[in-house]
Amino acid sequence: MYLSGNLNTYLVVALFLLILGLYGMIQHRTFIGMLISTELILNGAGLNFMAFNRFLAPNPAVGQIFTLFIMGIAAAEAAIGVSVILAVYRRYQTSDPEKVDDLHG
Amino acid sequence: MELIILLICGGLTIITSLLVIFARNTVHSALWMVASFFFMAVLYLLLQAEFIAILQIIVYAGAIMMFIIYAIMMLNLRQEERAPMRKTKVVGVVALLVLFLELLVVAVGRGLLAIKGPVTDQLMAKFGHIAVLSNFLFSDYVLPFELASILLTAGVVGAVILAKQKSE
Repeated sequence: MYLSGNLNTYLVVALFLLILGLYGMIQHRTFIGMLISTELILNGAGLNFMAFNRFLAPNPAVGQIFTLFIMGIAAAEAAIGVSVILAVYRRYQTSDPEKVDDLHG
Repeated sequence: MELIILLICGGLTIITSLLVIFARNTVHSALWMVASFFFMAVLYLLLQAEFIAILQIIVYAGAIMMFIIYAIMMLNLRQEERAPMRKTKVVGVVALLVLFLELLVVAVGRGLLAIKGPVTDQLMAKFGHIAVLSNFLFSDYVLPFELASILLTAGVVGAVILAKQKSE
């Protein structure tokens, strides 16, 4: 069995999550889309931690604790991100990152 | 059997993530994200991390997606719906492709080998998954744990202050 019980399969899935998240970050036209892409990237990181934890780590609980902290950080990041987007929207009436371009509004 | 589930759920994770990025409507994108989180929870189950799998569904698919859907609801995204993507920047996409190929070589290559440590699957099965996890969390990792709680409190307070309507 090459694929099952193998680190590489999980790494490839996490790699796709990372690349799709980065692509979304540079291509999306709304702040919300960029926030969603960030969640994809963080998920990819979490999956990587879990896979390395399962197959390689000297201590298989540490990666899971890291994934827990990633989830906490993602929750805080989503809360702050959403409220920043709301504040920006109130001031500029747009959620397009390219239109929010003056420094002293 | 495990291999079939792994391939199906891994593939579906990738496909739903593609749909997240390329969906025309932001609400659809958020809903595909929920599907993607569920398939990732199955992957965590395959990695024998039941607790993390449940948390993945509760925290990501429950809490974080709620935030994002509320934000979509409060913003008026209708004018952007027609063109969710901006014009492709060739340099960025080329750089991304190079990064992808580089990391693919690492991920598929066989250089990642190491020896398993003292905490084996048998030990996990014997003591129960959450017991082992919380032992680490509340002894060795208690400082990051407390810091995470401070971070979350600061996040909640900051979110309320930032999103509050100005009263004047």
